[in-house]
Amino acid sequence: MEAQVIIKDITKTFILSKKQQKIERVNNKHKVAVNGLSFEAYKGEIYGLLGPNGAGKTTALRCISTLIKPDSGDIIVNGHSVMTDPEKVRESIGFLTSDLKLEAFFTPNYLFDYFAHLRGIDENIIQTRKKQLFEKLGIDRFAEVKVGELSTGMCQKVQIAISLLHDPAVIVFDEPTNGLDVLTAKVVTDYLTELKNAGKTIIISTHIFSVVEKICDRVGIIINGKLLLAKTIGEVGGTEANLENQFFDLVASESEEA
Amino acid sequence: MKSIWTIFKKEWDRVIKDKRLLFSVMILPGLMIFLIYTFMGTAMSSLNADKPGNIAIVNPTSAFADIYTPDEGEIIDNVITIDSTEIDTYKDLVDAGEWDLIIDFPEDLETGLVDGYQETLEIYLNGNETQSQIIYQTYRGYLDEYSEALSYQLYNDTTVLVFVIDSMTVDNNKIIGALMASLLPMLVVMFLFSGAMSIGPESIAGEKERGTMATLLVTPVKRSQIAMGKVASLGVLSLLSAISSFIGIILSFPKLFGEDIDFTSIYGFGEYAMILGLLFSTVFVIVGVISVVSAYAKNLKEAGTLITPIYLLTIVIGISSMFGEGANTSWWLYLLPIYNTVQTLIAILTFDSNITLYMMITIFSNLVFTALLILLLNRMFNSEKIMFSK
Repeated sequence: MEAQVIIKDITKTFILSKKQQKIERVNNKHKVAVNGLSFEAYKGEIYGLLGPNGAGKTTALRCISTLIKPDSGDIIVNGHSVMTDPEKVRESIGFLTSDLKLEAFFTPNYLFDYFAHLRGIDENIIQTRKKQLFEKLGIDRFAEVKVGELSTGMCQKVQIAISLLHDPAVIVFDEPTNGLDVLTAKVVTDYLTELKNAGKTIIISTHIFSVVEKICDRVGIIINGKLLLAKTIGEVGGTEANLENQFFDLVASESEEA
Repeated sequence: MKSIWTIFKKEWDRVIKDKRLLFSVMILPGLMIFLIYTFMGTAMSSLNADKPGNIAIVNPTSAFADIYTPDEGEIIDNVITIDSTEIDTYKDLVDAGEWDLIIDFPEDLETGLVDGYQETLEIYLNGNETQSQIIYQTYRGYLDEYSEALSYQLYNDTTVLVFVIDSMTVDNNKIIGALMASLLPMLVVMFLFSGAMSIGPESIAGEKERGTMATLLVTPVKRSQIAMGKVASLGVLSLLSAISSFIGIILSFPKLFGEDIDFTSIYGFGEYAMILGLLFSTVFVIVGVISVVSAYAKNLKEAGTLITPIYLLTIVIGISSMFGEGANTSWWLYLLPIYNTVQTLIAILTFDSNITLYMMITIFSNLVFTALLILLLNRMFNSEKIMFSK
């Protein structure tokens, strides 16, 4: 199996403001969001990062996408290091997270072209990709409606289309079905499976067991910034219930240790 | 380079395709300035306009009447003759602001002239009424003239000093140039800054706050190109906004300074080209400063709070044009941004002979500062602490 994303012992610490300390109910100024995290994602698979809120999933994915840099360790994406070659990493990655927003004033059509031009894609290819992605995700019906007037689900679809417009080898989606109705969520999960079958490397984060069980090939359970389990779906028992049991056992043992 | 253009075009479309934003950035500043200055000009001219006065004279003389009788085309005052018994009635009218002036000549003034003759002439006015005071000043002048005429009748010409006033022919262009140089630099700097302020923070702090900047940062475009694209587009848009304000002020000048002052024709193509070049180099420094502050700010509100003191500082620098005579002659002061714009503008408007030197130093300095600000912005875009601070 060819590892296309290699996360090598990364650590990320944030300095909390007084206000954040109050919200998190801690006295410590430093918060270790990711603590010595290592895992690999292979070509043609969906790797699911499962964990509760605040476990460090989003921080790990933001490090992979080069939005933030790990304090130590390294991440290799498609042969490029996020520490030394972040622009090359950004070229080969499609990243989706709730922190990334689209300008409400513009239409999906305009924004698709804008981001495609920023990535230096040829005009003909832009139009072909746009047609393909808009049809696949059902965006063509509202391609000329301003983003500000779209529903959450519609917006998420546009975000997905824009994150994939350059046909990236590696796809990193943070909570891709969050806030979506069941129909839209199915469109997204089906499309991710299709992309996996097309040979893409996909990493998703989620706290929904059924999503992991349905579409992921392997799962990594992350709690308090540490990877406590990394197995194939078969190894965890293959059912949502088995996955749930193992997850809650890990949460319980981690809180006992704490 | 292509990415810079793509970002430029998006920022441009954001303003141009939004009718409300287009109106508030490009049309409203010029329109408001035109309306405010026109209103100010109209109010000032109506305040200064001569109104006919109401004057009541007791025992008038024909010689005095010859002095105050207006020439053709001048304002004709309402001058009436009253009897000495009516004085109290007219005094009440003056006190009530319904009459302006009473002049009480002694009886048979001109027939009683002998050596050593001195008579009392009584004048009554209302010191609380502007119109009454204006009329008093005017008629005081006539009365002095009349007094001199009477004195001449008694003693012939007693003038000791005869004034001969001579001066160089008035250079109208120089006077208008000095007037423009005292007013325009401050307004121009204000227009440039307020134009940049209306779109700059929204484009950087606003995008940061809404999360659209992060979407841009996950593309492989270099941060330096994002910085250049933003500064270039904001610069051009701010310049257009400033030009709108500039047109507004030019159109309101006839109302503000009078129809006979035509300042547009005293400057040639060279001066206008220099002004435009100067503004073009200055706007990028201003946009650079606003962009850096906006990138530093956590949100749009904080950006506004941080930029306001800088705006006030530039106005203070602009006001420096109202003091001192002509452009500053110390060349090194032209290295200081904003101050150099104000001084170079003065030099252009007053036809200063060193303008080429001042212009070169100013543009050089502005380019260096713009480059430094873009470098700083690039570093800020690379800093996760700054870009993702909550």
